[in-house]
Amino acid sequence: MAVHPAFGISRRSVLAGAGAASLVGSLRRVHAQGRVVPITIVVNQSPWFESFRKTVELYEKETGNKVELDVNPFAGSLEKQRNSVRAARGQYDILIMNSGWFTEMYAGGFVEPLSDIEAGMKLDPEVYSLGDTVYWDAAKKNMTPAGKLMSMPISPLIPLLYYRGDLYKQAGLAAPKTFAELEANSRSFHKPPAMYGIIQRGARGPHTVAYDFYPYLYGFGGGIFKDQSAGDYSVILNDAKGKEALDYYIRLSREAGHPKTAAHDQAEVIQHMVTGRTAHIMMVVAAWSQMDDPSKSAVVDKVEFAVPPHGPGAKPSPGLGHWLGGVAKNVPDDRKRAASAFLKWYMTKGAQVAMAKFGGIPIHAAAYRDPIAKERKFRWMEPMAEALKHAVNIYQFPEASEVIASLELGLNRAVAGEITSAQALNTMSDEIHTVMAKYSYNTGKLRPL
Amino acid sequence: MTSAAPALADAGMQEDRLWRWLTFAPAGILLLAFSVLPILNLIVVSFLHVSWSGGSASFSAAGIAHYRALGGDELFRAGVRNTLVFAVFAVAGQMVLGFALALLTSRVTRGRIIYRTIFILPILIPGIVIGAIWKLMFQPDFGLINQIFGLIGLGPFEWLKSASTALMSVIIVDIWHWTPFCFLLFLAGLESLPQDVYEAAEIDGASVWQELAYVTLPLMLPTILVTLVFRIVVAFKVFDEVYLLTSGGPGTSTEVVSFTIYQRFFTEDRVGYGSAMSVAVIFLVSLLLVLALSARKRLGPA
Repeated sequence: MAVHPAFGISRRSVLAGAGAASLVGSLRRVHAQGRVVPITIVVNQSPWFESFRKTVELYEKETGNKVELDVNPFAGSLEKQRNSVRAARGQYDILIMNSGWFTEMYAGGFVEPLSDIEAGMKLDPEVYSLGDTVYWDAAKKNMTPAGKLMSMPISPLIPLLYYRGDLYKQAGLAAPKTFAELEANSRSFHKPPAMYGIIQRGARGPHTVAYDFYPYLYGFGGGIFKDQSAGDYSVILNDAKGKEALDYYIRLSREAGHPKTAAHDQAEVIQHMVTGRTAHIMMVVAAWSQMDDPSKSAVVDKVEFAVPPHGPGAKPSPGLGHWLGGVAKNVPDDRKRAASAFLKWYMTKGAQVAMAKFGGIPIHAAAYRDPIAKERKFRWMEPMAEALKHAVNIYQFPEASEVIASLELGLNRAVAGEITSAQALNTMSDEIHTVMAKYSYNTGKLRPL
Repeated sequence: MTSAAPALADAGMQEDRLWRWLTFAPAGILLLAFSVLPILNLIVVSFLHVSWSGGSASFSAAGIAHYRALGGDELFRAGVRNTLVFAVFAVAGQMVLGFALALLTSRVTRGRIIYRTIFILPILIPGIVIGAIWKLMFQPDFGLINQIFGLIGLGPFEWLKSASTALMSVIIVDIWHWTPFCFLLFLAGLESLPQDVYEAAEIDGASVWQELAYVTLPLMLPTILVTLVFRIVVAFKVFDEVYLLTSGGPGTSTEVVSFTIYQRFFTEDRVGYGSAMSVAVIFLVSLLLVLALSARKRLGPA
């Protein structure tokens, strides 16, 4: 073996070193090819945000790509998104859009279809399409898989029934499956002000009391429109089922709930549960992690989860209040590709299981079959997987914010006792009919109650 | 010579007129750019429908549809009603308290810098901080106000969550916020009053109340009116206190016009309708201003 005295290394070593250097170089090239330009995501500060932030950090760690988060309150996030997408060049690459406004973004032409960024890009069949809201058929203006893939689910939020398992055990009760059982159980636990039977979210906001009311409205077999998918936007809100649902909602708040329900927003509802002052809340699933957080909760390991109850002859009907991630149309192509790369990574099973461990809600069905779903900590996953099968997509048109505003006012006034349930339903129906007629939808309305 | 003189005078006048226009032009252009044009734009948009498609805006004529819709808008009606109630009670409270404080302190000379600083502190605090301060004060469980009521066995009250107390609570916050403004203007007015009138009243044997009723108040009337106009205009613009404390609820109990415009224009993205609502509010405030200024004209200068 020849040795090069000057350096003290053999020819074999030199050749081996050259080979290793070449391998490292090629690995770097591969890695560099996987790298994409930094992106900015505009997102809201919701109960699920922390898990999203940690998942983004994991993405950065795994890929070396950079992601900046622009975090805002609910309404502020919408305003920033509107300002950005309507500019000549957008500031945000990924828009985290709520169920109340993603259609506005699709129909306004502000979101680049994912299949246009990367030809052949499809939704993993194991990822929930959430009422097919990830698709948009621009010609037919509806959401079916026949349309283009516009976005990826970010958080499949629906409400679940949170109830105090310890109190139920003491009373020998089972989780309520029907509204009648929920009312009876709420009444039995109702000892105000120390313990309320149920706390509801009755405040007026961007999408507040209306979102709380959907599981009741649809769970009683009612609805807002006759058949959106078929293009029939006749308003049926003030039919007998709608009246039954609203009367029930108000009765529950007055006789087994909080006297100031009309002023309660999400934070106050959660606060009542974590401070042990209510037996039930119907709350978006994302708040689960707060229940078992000893720094926030006095009811650690005492809260159980169930599919929202339903009325006679109807199914559980949690309203989709989910979040979708879409790529802005007015950003450069390299940023679009980088945004698409993040979304593709985000929908993998590995990323979704990690997100569940961070306290988030997975969008991948396989995550719900993962061993973690059997762990006590993740006891919400089983009812969540069941409830997702019944999730209702409330709006399929871009002017939804006007309808939501009408519902927010009417429902809040009815809960506050300013007007009767019939007056509220008739007024809201009239206003919604006016909105739909103004935008030339096929609409109609029922006779007033 | 005789025919040349008028021609020279004419030329001089023309030059003078040109010079006047040239010197006025920068101010005129600025006024047009920053004041008139934005309002004209608002008025034009109030007659349009604005929608978005293919990534760009499209406009179509709406005629007076937006203005006609205002009357049927439950939220707008509640907003106008509550804004009027808010303006009347908040401004009345601020005027009375501000005047009383100014009277009490106008003849105090020791420590005037300290007390004036303390008195004017609320108008120096940012709106968001005021929201935080009063959210804590009105907190039902541990808020200072309920703790004080608790000492005499009353409460707890849900000040901001009850439809019967929410508007009153917001009015209290506004009185706390803006009384120092009235105090400052009144104090300046009181300190500028001629002292010889008071000396004459004293020689005539006027009591303190007679001095207040027949000397101070009449002399202060123009200042009071100017302060009133300022405050009413600002009270009509109330937004941050409502947004931070109640968001217009419960029900419509604290809905004010600025918050309605925020909802219609920004949240719902109804640009045309929101513009019409804004124009209506500008008209209302301008009307109040004209009425107050004409009243002031009748009463003489401040």
